[in-house]
Order: sequence, then structure tokens, then C-alpha cells
Amino acid sequence: MSSDKGISKIKAITGNKAATIGASLCKPDLIAAYPITPQSSVVEGLASMIANGELDSNMVQVESEHSAMSVVQGAVMAGGRAFTATSAQGLALMFEPYFRMSTLRLPMVMALATREMTSPETVWSGHQDAVSVRDAGWIQIFVESNQEILDMVIQGYKISENQNVLIPVNICYDGFYLSHLTERVEIPDSKEVDKFLPKYNPEHVILNPQQPMAVDPLTSGEYLMEYRHTHLEAMQNALRVADEVDTEFAKNFNRAYGGVIDTYRCDDAEFVIVTMGATTGTARVAVDMAREKGISLGLLKVRYIRPFPAEKIREVLKEKKGFVVVDKNVCFGWNTGALYMEIKAAISDLCEETCSLPVIGGLGGADISLKELLNSIDILVSSAKTKAGQLETYWLRNDL
Amino acid sequence: MERKSFITPIGNKGIYTLDTGSWRTVKPVIYKEKCIECGICMTYCPVNSIAYDKEKKYHINLDFCKGCGICSRECPKRAIEMKAEGEI
Amino acid sequence: MSYIDLLRESEDMVTPGMSACQGCGAELILRRVLQIAGEKTVIGIPPGCMAGAGVVGWNLDNGLKIPVHITLLDNTAALLSGVSNIYQRKGLDINVIAFAGDGATADCGFQSLSGAAERGEKMLYICYDNEGYMNTGFQRSSTSTKGSMTTTTPVGSVSPGKVQHQKYMPLIMAMHNIEYCATASPSNMKDFTKKIQKGLEASKHGFAYIHVFSSCPTGWGCNADLTIELARNAVKSNLFPLFEVDNGKWKLNENTNLIPVSEFTKKLKKFKHLTPEDIEEIQELVEYRMNIIRKLADN
Repeated sequence: MSSDKGISKIKAITGNKAATIGASLCKPDLIAAYPITPQSSVVEGLASMIANGELDSNMVQVESEHSAMSVVQGAVMAGGRAFTATSAQGLALMFEPYFRMSTLRLPMVMALATREMTSPETVWSGHQDAVSVRDAGWIQIFVESNQEILDMVIQGYKISENQNVLIPVNICYDGFYLSHLTERVEIPDSKEVDKFLPKYNPEHVILNPQQPMAVDPLTSGEYLMEYRHTHLEAMQNALRVADEVDTEFAKNFNRAYGGVIDTYRCDDAEFVIVTMGATTGTARVAVDMAREKGISLGLLKVRYIRPFPAEKIREVLKEKKGFVVVDKNVCFGWNTGALYMEIKAAISDLCEETCSLPVIGGLGGADISLKELLNSIDILVSSAKTKAGQLETYWLRNDL
Repeated sequence: MERKSFITPIGNKGIYTLDTGSWRTVKPVIYKEKCIECGICMTYCPVNSIAYDKEKKYHINLDFCKGCGICSRECPKRAIEMKAEGEI
Repeated sequence: MSYIDLLRESEDMVTPGMSACQGCGAELILRRVLQIAGEKTVIGIPPGCMAGAGVVGWNLDNGLKIPVHITLLDNTAALLSGVSNIYQRKGLDINVIAFAGDGATADCGFQSLSGAAERGEKMLYICYDNEGYMNTGFQRSSTSTKGSMTTTTPVGSVSPGKVQHQKYMPLIMAMHNIEYCATASPSNMKDFTKKIQKGLEASKHGFAYIHVFSSCPTGWGCNADLTIELARNAVKSNLFPLFEVDNGKWKLNENTNLIPVSEFTKKLKKFKHLTPEDIEEIQELVEYRMNIIRKLADN
């Protein structure tokens, strides 16, 4: 299939394959990753592309995720573009260099096939891994489809390497629900991607004897505060840059995602269902079905959880009668999920009458059924008639 | 590369130098008449405070010498003596 | 050019004033290594004595004349693998050196070191072994000699100091099929210089590992001027034999005038409490190890 946007191909591929192809289109200099369910085929796919001569990249077969993040850290420090991928336990293991990647302001993209954190012993889908590291200074993006995975890997490098951002990016996609299921994906033309994404050219840090510098000297508190300050400012810049890159991507590849958030039938809605990740797909159907039943419902899809798009979310939720937040994770200190807690913080001074329902479900790969989503919407709607503020957390039911 | 304010923490303004010469309580003194210019003291000085030039040959640079005494101990001809700071 | 000429003429790449202790073996080793390596070098130094002494930079300043990065305690070899790979891709001929203490090598950083060595990453990894976590106050490490009095293996009515023998890194690394593996001591400076040069050359083709004896008068408890003498005695007693494995070829510098281990231990406060039986145990380990190394070197 060809257009004036170059020759793109349409394939039926899994989410992992989409991440593989997205990464290869960005021409990373170095890839270092350790296999872990459900991400393993990302790494295998890249190794295969390198072995076949389809991708010119150095692949380092590291012995653990801690080393994977360390190797890419060294590579970006030396001026290269790098890629890695992991899940749950791997993310936990690499936390030490992971925190350093963002605080050293080294741009990169990391694919995160989100998975529930052990214990109980599990390998299946969940968002706990991503939300557990949300305050490590990375940009975190949640996607809804395999197409979005591929597109956001490309957008991710563009945002990350922007001179006003310089923060690494996580592309989070639901383990198994996206990583292993096959969907229709349009693969952009490589030359078009090259035009959209120029080579990485570091101006702020380099390990090179021609420009000697100590990278990360011992730093006193007064200076450390300056570094944190600029990092937080860069995060706020990222909110703007994310929308700009989304618009530019749409111009080049004819696909737009709405920027830091996306909405569906929200403008005239009285109630809103808020989701993050693959659940959004089910929620879209729930919105249509609820509308048929006469419930004025809309959907708010949170794409970026870091930086948190507080302003845009306030815009959507103000003057709504109520909203439901579906969390595929728990926030241990708050008896709700993490997304609910963040949204509550963002809209806290908006309206005391707004009724909100924290919903927790889909942990450890458990199903989030359409029936249960509609059930939680019914709970919200009926409670909103007499109650205000935060309702009791609703745990989605499964047949045991 | 010029420094861009407070993005990645980098140190490239100067070389951080401590006044380690102020640490010592004893200082090395080379007895020229015993010195055979083998250079072994220079190879063993951890602070590189033993330099060489055509006139002074092997000589002590007291700027950063910490007074550890290794040069004195290792000199094969016992040509270096550790004397108290202040002694001439 | 003799090694003395080389050391005399080469530029010192380290700040002239760094806060290492008087008589610090590691300071001596670091300066010599960078003199030999020259300015086309980048160095990764994990937390430890050398990083703590100011060479990794402070606020807006560097501590060296070359690029340096303070790695994490457990990932020096891994991070430098990434650096080394990018230099290769860009066709840059730059020395990539790791300068790590025994803690960052044998304990915390062992996994990443073993991984990088097994992969044959192109770098020179130097371990300065002062037998303990000296920067944080002389805690024991896996390379501390048995019986060592440290702050985590103190000597009291119940505890006799460190109860385990030291883990022997040089042989472990030699079994990783690396390009070059050697032990070196600053007391034998000519041999040291040659090994560093060989290591740098080998690092262009694969992984080079050099284990260097680093006396610590402060931590071990003796006068600052004994640094070289201690290192010499460690070599002469076979506590720290000098050998190298150059692409699979073993070479051992056998001692002609052997001294007993007690000659080494008697000078140090950290061994003051050792009984003759304790010293005999260390002597037995030394001889057991030497026999293995001799057999390996024989082929």
C-alpha cells in the first residue's frame, strides 16, 4: 500500500512485535535487554532482525535487567541511541540504574509489557509494576492498541530527545492482553520515520576525551536542588511537547492519539469512565452500551500518567456529575488504585458534589468484563443521586 | 561542550584540588650527595610529589606532599630523611 | 624506554590534591594507571575509596583531566560495556578503564563483572584490592584475609575476626576465557607497568582484568610509609603471587626468596590477635593456592 507518505505495510502482529518493529524503525545504536515473560519476544524479534541484517545495531546479551539498564545508560552517555524492554520483576531489579537514567537526563525509550508484581507468584497482566516506579522521574505513557505501541515508540524518542525535555520514556502496554494478542498494525515507511526522527545529537552530556567532563560529580544539596528543579520543569515542558509531537506525528503518518489524554463522547456527558491502557478498548464499548440504555456517559483515556496531565483532566471532569476510575493496580496506602488517587488530587478543589467511584480490577491477569464495567457505572449513577464525593472502592468481580 | 545550566550533573569547570600539602607534620629531604638518581622514589610516591628536571634532578615538590614517608623508606641508598615541618 | 623513564615523562591525569590517606596504595595505582593510559581514556569508578577521595568530581568541577563517571557500586562493568560498544560503532579508539575496589568487584559488582567478562566486552577492568570496604570504615569484604579484624568482623570474646578465607578473584576471572588476566603489585613497579600496558592493548580485543594489591595503612593499622613494603611482603610470601594469563597462556613469576606469611601479618594491627594456629591456617591456604596456580601455569 503506498501513498505520498511513502510505502507502508499492513500486518497482523502482536504487541511485542509492534514494539520490536517500532524500535527498529528508530535505528537504535544499542539494545540491551533480558528476557522476561511477557516481554521476551521483543528481544527475540530484535535479535532476529539483527541476525538477518535487517537492523544494524549492537545487541548486548546482558545477564540481568540491572545490567540491561546499566549498559544502555553507558551507551546513551557515550552519545548513542538505546532501547530496552522489560516487565515487573525486571523493572524492580533495574530500579537502581532506572532512577539514575532520568536524573542523569539521558533520553531513551523503554518498552514495558506491564505485569503484576510478585507476590502472590504471578506472570500475568497488571499495571502494578509501572505505577510502582511512577516517581522515578521517567515519562510514562499507557497505550490501548498494538498500533499505538509502534507509533508511541517512535513518538517516544522524539519527545525524549527534545532539548526542552531530555527525559527517558516508558511505553507501557498490558502484558498478554496487548503483548501477545494479534491486531492489525500499519507499519510506517522507514524513510518517513527517518525524516520525522533525526539522529540523536547530545548537547548536554557526553563521555568523550575530546570534551573531558566528570559525569555526575559528587553534588552538594544546594546544587542538587537546582538539578531537581530543572528536571521538574522539563516534566512540565513534556506535557506541551507530548501534544506537539502527537500533532506532528498525525501530519506525517495520518494517525492522532489526542496528546496527553484522549476523550470519547465526553463533551455532553454527565458521567465519565476513566481508564488507562488496554481496558480503554472495553470501556469504549461500555460507553456506547450505556448510552443506549440512556446513561449520559463518556470516556476519559489517560495516556500519560507521568507527567500527570492535571490541567487537561480538570477540564474534562469539571461540572460532571460523577466519574469512575478503573485501576489495574492498587495504591497500598489509599485503599484505591493509583490513578484514582492522582485524579482525586488533580480535581480536589473543583467540586465537592462530584461523585467518584474508585474501581480496582484486572489484577494479575484477571478479566475485566464488559458486564462488570457496566455494573460499576450503574453503581456510580445510582449513588450520585443521593451521595457526593468519594464512594467506597468497588472491586470488580470474577468467577472464582 | 559548554555547560547548559543544571541539566545532567557534569563537572567541567575546573579540577577540584585540595591543599594536601597542609596535612603533613614531617617532610622529605633529599641528600643530594647520597642520591644516585635511580628514580625509584618517584615511582613510589602516591602523590607524584617527586619531579625531575635537568638542573634539580630528582627533587621534592612540597605543594601537595602528604608526608607519608614512603620515599624515605624505599630509597635504596637511604638518601631521603623525614624531618619535622619547620626544621631546616 | 624503561618503566622509570615512562613514569617520569608521562602526564599525571589526576588532580594533584586528592583526599586519599597518606600512603594510600590505591592513589598510587590510580595515578600510575592513568599516566600509562594517557589522555585518550575514559574511566568508570564505582563508590569506594577512590571515588570518595574526590577524583570523580565535586559540584561543577572534575577531579581528573579525562572523562570520568562514578558508576553504581554494582554496575561498573555493565555501564562501561555500553560505552565500549558505542565507541566501537563510532570507530573511536579510546581506552575504556574500570577502576574498582574489591567491594565493587568481588561482592556487590560481581554479577555485572562476570557478565561483562563472559561476553568479552572490550575494556580494562582493574581491581584495587585493599581487602575491605575501606571508604566506609574498614568493613569486611569477601577478599579480606581470614582472621582480619574489621568493623563488621570485630575481635571479641565470641568472635575471632573474619571466619572465612578470602575469595580468590584472579583465578575466578581467569576461568572466564578473557583476553588477559593478571595480578600485579605496585611494589614490583616494572612488572606492574608492563601488565597495565598489556592490559590496555588486550582491552582493544576483549576483556582484560588486572587484580592489583593495594595496601591500606589506615585500615590495616600501620604507619603510612609501609605501603610498598607490605605489598612486597605480600608478593614474597605468596599471599599475592604475580602471574598472568595472556590469551590462555599462563606465566607465573615464581618467588626465589620466599618468606613466611607471618612476616606480612606481624606488621598489621588487624592481625594483632592472630594465634600461631591462625597464621598456620593462612599459610596452608597460601600454599594450597600456589600449588593450583603452579599446576595451571605448567601447561
